[in-house]
Amino acid sequence: MSQKTEIYSVELSGRNDVEKTDRGDDKGKHKGLRKNRWELRKDQQKEELKKELDLDDHKLSSEELEMKYGTNITMGLSSARAAELLARNGPNALTPPKETPEIVKFLKQMVGGFSILLWIGAVLCWIAYGIQYSSNKASSLDNVYLGSVLALVVILTGIFAYYQEARSTNIMASFHKMIPQQALVIRDSEKKTIPAEQLVVGDIVEIKGGDQIPADIRLLSAQGCKVDNSSLTGESEPQPRSCEFTHENPLETKNISFFSTTCLEGTATGMVINTGDRTVIGQIASLASRVTNVKTPIAIEIQHFVHIVAGVAVSIGVLFFIIAVSMKYQVLDSIIFLIGIIVANVPEGLLATVTVALSLTAKRMAKKNCLVKNLEAVETLGSTSIICSDKTGTLTQNRMTVAHLWFDNQVFVADTSEAHSNQAFDQSSATWASLSKIITLCNRAEFRPGQESVPVMKKVVVGDASESALLKFSEVILGDVMEVRERNRKVAEIPFNSTNKFQLSIHETDDPDDKRFLLVMKGAPERVLEKCSTIMVHGQEQPLDQSTAKAFHTAYMELGGLGERVLGFCHLYLPADEFPETYLFDTDAMNFPTSNFCFVGLLSMIDPPRSTVPDAVTKCRSAGIKVIMVTGDHPITAKAIAKSVGIISANSETVEDIAKRLNIAVEQVNQRDAKAAVVTGMELKDMSPAQLDELLTNYSEIVFARTSPQQKLIIVEGCQRQDAIVAVTGDGVNDSPALKKADIGIAMGITGSDAAKNAADMVLLDDNFASIVTGVEEGRLIFDNLKKTIAYTLTKNIAELCPFLIYIIAGLPLPIGTITILFIDLGTDIIPSVALAYEKAESDIMNRKPRHKKKDRLVNLPLAVYSYLHIGLMQALGAFLVYFTVYAQEGFQPSALINLRVEWEKDYVNDLEDSYGQEWTSYQRKYLEWTGYTAFFVGIMIQQLADLIIRKTRRNSIFQQGLFRNKVIWVGIASQIIIALILSYGLGSVTALNFTTLRAQYWFVAAPHAVLIWVYDEARKLFIRLYPGGWWDKNMYY
Amino acid sequence: MVVPNLKEEEEEEEEKEKEEKEEESQGQETSNAWWQKLHIVNEYLWDPEKRMSLARTGQSWSLILVIYFFFYASLAAVITLCMYTLFLTITPYMPTFTERVKPPGVMIRPFAHSLNFNFNVSEPDTWQHYVISLNGFLQGYNDSLQEEMNVDCPPGQYFIQDGDEDEDKKACQFKRSFLKNCSGLEDPTFGYSTGQPCILLKMNRIVGFRPELGDPVKVSCKVQGKPTAEAERAVCSLTRWDEGRLGYRGDENDIRSINYYPESASFDLRYYPYYGKLTHVNYTSPLVAMHFTDVVKNQAVPVQCQLKGKGIINDVINDRFVGRVIFTLNIET
Repeated sequence: MSQKTEIYSVELSGRNDVEKTDRGDDKGKHKGLRKNRWELRKDQQKEELKKELDLDDHKLSSEELEMKYGTNITMGLSSARAAELLARNGPNALTPPKETPEIVKFLKQMVGGFSILLWIGAVLCWIAYGIQYSSNKASSLDNVYLGSVLALVVILTGIFAYYQEARSTNIMASFHKMIPQQALVIRDSEKKTIPAEQLVVGDIVEIKGGDQIPADIRLLSAQGCKVDNSSLTGESEPQPRSCEFTHENPLETKNISFFSTTCLEGTATGMVINTGDRTVIGQIASLASRVTNVKTPIAIEIQHFVHIVAGVAVSIGVLFFIIAVSMKYQVLDSIIFLIGIIVANVPEGLLATVTVALSLTAKRMAKKNCLVKNLEAVETLGSTSIICSDKTGTLTQNRMTVAHLWFDNQVFVADTSEAHSNQAFDQSSATWASLSKIITLCNRAEFRPGQESVPVMKKVVVGDASESALLKFSEVILGDVMEVRERNRKVAEIPFNSTNKFQLSIHETDDPDDKRFLLVMKGAPERVLEKCSTIMVHGQEQPLDQSTAKAFHTAYMELGGLGERVLGFCHLYLPADEFPETYLFDTDAMNFPTSNFCFVGLLSMIDPPRSTVPDAVTKCRSAGIKVIMVTGDHPITAKAIAKSVGIISANSETVEDIAKRLNIAVEQVNQRDAKAAVVTGMELKDMSPAQLDELLTNYSEIVFARTSPQQKLIIVEGCQRQDAIVAVTGDGVNDSPALKKADIGIAMGITGSDAAKNAADMVLLDDNFASIVTGVEEGRLIFDNLKKTIAYTLTKNIAELCPFLIYIIAGLPLPIGTITILFIDLGTDIIPSVALAYEKAESDIMNRKPRHKKKDRLVNLPLAVYSYLHIGLMQALGAFLVYFTVYAQEGFQPSALINLRVEWEKDYVNDLEDSYGQEWTSYQRKYLEWTGYTAFFVGIMIQQLADLIIRKTRRNSIFQQGLFRNKVIWVGIASQIIIALILSYGLGSVTALNFTTLRAQYWFVAAPHAVLIWVYDEARKLFIRLYPGGWWDKNMYY
Repeated sequence: MVVPNLKEEEEEEEEKEKEEKEEESQGQETSNAWWQKLHIVNEYLWDPEKRMSLARTGQSWSLILVIYFFFYASLAAVITLCMYTLFLTITPYMPTFTERVKPPGVMIRPFAHSLNFNFNVSEPDTWQHYVISLNGFLQGYNDSLQEEMNVDCPPGQYFIQDGDEDEDKKACQFKRSFLKNCSGLEDPTFGYSTGQPCILLKMNRIVGFRPELGDPVKVSCKVQGKPTAEAERAVCSLTRWDEGRLGYRGDENDIRSINYYPESASFDLRYYPYYGKLTHVNYTSPLVAMHFTDVVKNQAVPVQCQLKGKGIINDVINDRFVGRVIFTLNIET
């Protein structure tokens, strides 16, 4: 788990130790963690929980531990005992999240909301055929065909969707790194390297810098050991580890380090106390797997749509069933009609269209490095109203970088962007020359050899995080650092340690005439200043007086207040007479001056925000999306980063800020004045859900700091209670439960842990937060365009249904047959409805608010009404006109058609009289009926052309949108016409398809209706634009 | 349930039903929540506080109804205009196109849902309905009626009547007596009582149809022999109700003689062209009677009667009534 890529992992390795500032918060965080964990799982896993709470290994002495685990600290376990334990407790590996079997995944694709509708339709068709067959063995097979086509559509679409998702999964799978981890373990008094999987409780393991901790370990001895807990707690700072028991809380004490965290430097020996799923990280991972995925918003919308369609279908069906029965139709016939009507309402092509449209968008997003794991999640970002973002690694680069410098009484800003390319501060001062020398020399970090061609910022460094930051900083500015160091040979060195809090080294100078030694030192600013008596200003040493000391403190506080880690730098040229070239420096005896140095400057470092983040946050803001930071890191750092990326905007204040500005107590501040809030895990722990709701509604800019994975979950749930659609971004294991709980979880592709990527619905392949903006844009666009597609598809449904209703009530020969309808739904209309997915946005979709989950539905009443009762009805009339024209010109005038149905359909009547007294054989009638089908089909097709064009926009005039901007629409129109021509003229002689060769003039009969539809819709849009918010807008805008 | 302040008639109700269903499907509601839902639905149907039904006030409802009334009224006007235009383009006297009804189909009488003539000579009950049917059919051909209504036009030539198309046209007589032995005048049982049944054959009327080149269309019947390959293929496209009959393979000698009335076994040219039922009111379709005087008894005999003549097609695979008719005789003694 949490395997970082090579580049990042070593950059991370090693950071200086800085004492935690607020212990209290820590306590709160972990109490919260514990408490919530208790709440979350009290039902299922009491036993396991108890065991965790009982963990008191950190309090035990080595002897007691040996007793407890039946091991020996020097000799380790015996191999036999280890094997026994391994057999009993299982391997030391996280149980992978339950793989859904491929076949289940495949079948799942076929039972979604839409598919269910089609399945029901198919089954109804077969039932209808069964009924027909039982009463008449010779009944038409149309229903069987229709049912089969419906089933086929579901299956094919399912295969397509499955294929799409499998492809993303494959891309995902390529991220998994299958490097088996090794552990150095003492067994049978021998040091052995064994796969970490085989570790058992009681094993004595040795770890060193760069290793991943192979299990939860109680440390027995440690030398300068520091671990990176960022994947577990979100702290960017390295955490020191020793063998002392420092805290009651097992998660807090220094003598326990956790599975999957990384040892950055130093060495340690420890005893394994928990393995596999029983480790802390294992418990978080299993927490993630227990969080159930919520339904995606688009799935909810589609379900809503299915309900509308089903409601309309059943209502019309039942209505006409009653009518049919009261018209003295046989009940069995009426049931067939009922089923027919219900099935006719099923939009056969829509499932395929929606799937294709979504996967087109998914593809488009993948091109922009947004990999969508779940097709339905494509739209979710568009609906998102709150983004809960993790800090470390998501908003920030997750590496220390020099941010500010202070020398010559001035603060300089360093470039913190990913490339470091633009260091614009004034480098002419002589002070800078001295400072840069100290930075270069007083530094133990080195580039790993053999990466000459790698850009500086990407080079792998051996050493501590701050030191590597300094190394890279100086390498970028000064050039070859190694060469500088070579010229200034190091003669003595005191490495950093937490008691003296400074690092000191003595060098020969590169000036051959200057025989003095140069002593350079860096460390905690206040400690460094203590040792100084002078300060360098513009290259001149000046005595350190009150005013300069004050300036130093102001600068120190200012930089510290930005959440940055500040280091002080000073130097001293040792007089050549006292310290000749041959002088032997002894770092233990300290036979050299340790005070009266010359203070040169300050330098502050931070894990800087990614350069694209502030812009992305602004864009999210203007799109009405609330961005909340949720981090495990300290509030000061969190707030500073929040400010620098715009999550807390420049002019908004927290309650504490106001209190400080007005110099009053926090309680006296009017809560309403504050726009921003910084909430710690400890405060969150004491909040009731109602208070959390209040917090989330009242503040527009919120930062949650020191939060545990469980609290992240609580925050996400709190947001979801506000009817918000919540996106969570994160990279660590600690984010994975929240990623899963969110409506859409977004994981970082490069730095993200596998756990995070597994839990997420979307992966940002380039770790670029700005890709989220793209996702929002695409999501909103596809939502709008799906509306158009659905409106387009629903419209002709009425035109296809009306004939059947008229057939039942007025007894006309059937105007359009089932097979013909299928050729519209799955033939001419497919490409145009997909083409609508390519439609550009009508207005700036990034400047409007996210849709309201419960108010802005995909398919709302105006859409259904306008499609069914306005355009749909007009289409039906137009198509009927073509139908009547064909029949009238062939001899059956409309009046003669009424109630002709029964005679018309009798196969044995071969001399049926028409309006002119001509007599028709049954096959001649059949052929005429097919001509009628073709005519009706052409009528619908011609009007669907107009429908397609009007659906390009919902508010703007087509001419504002541009008729030709979306070329795919024209491909759609061409496909419609070509398919229709082929069906009529090419396949007109294939009787099974029920198409005939239609006279050319019939193709134009419905054209005036098509024009009428266009004009009517333009008028509708005009009124909507003229009276926004008015009655017309409310009722006619979908 | 959020009730959008929107429109609509019956749909509205559906919307509501379906939202209800949606909520049901969310599951795990307590009965208390159920009551709440019911209450919400009830309030949706009629909200006494705001005096709204289906989220609309009375005023809003009347507005929407008025709007829809005008919308549909204009649609009705449009479709009326279209239909009016359509009627302008067609005349009631002459169909615009006749290609679908051509070439003419053929039907026989008596006809009672089936083309299998099964009867037992000695049991009048088995053939009495044929007689009644024929008698009924021939009422319109009674000599007195024909003489009264129609003119006796010269045989052997078309009876072309020029003049405006809306002028009434005269029709030529086709007297029942032309059918001689099959007229039912001498033998009121049309031969059924003697096992020599009469079957009348009628060609479908088509406005303006004229047998080509002045040759009258002839009728010829024979036992349907072994089907040709083509006919074999036709089996596939047969309508199922007459499928069974193809099983019979007749022997040519099963019918030893057929008498045709009129003796020419043809439809005289004077009955053509037909001018349509609006102006050619009394037109009576000419008939050819087939008198099966010597048919093998106690066995099903498949008979195919075909029209023969220029411009007549009698081998359409899909349509077994164009230019021909196939039926079986099974006369038991």
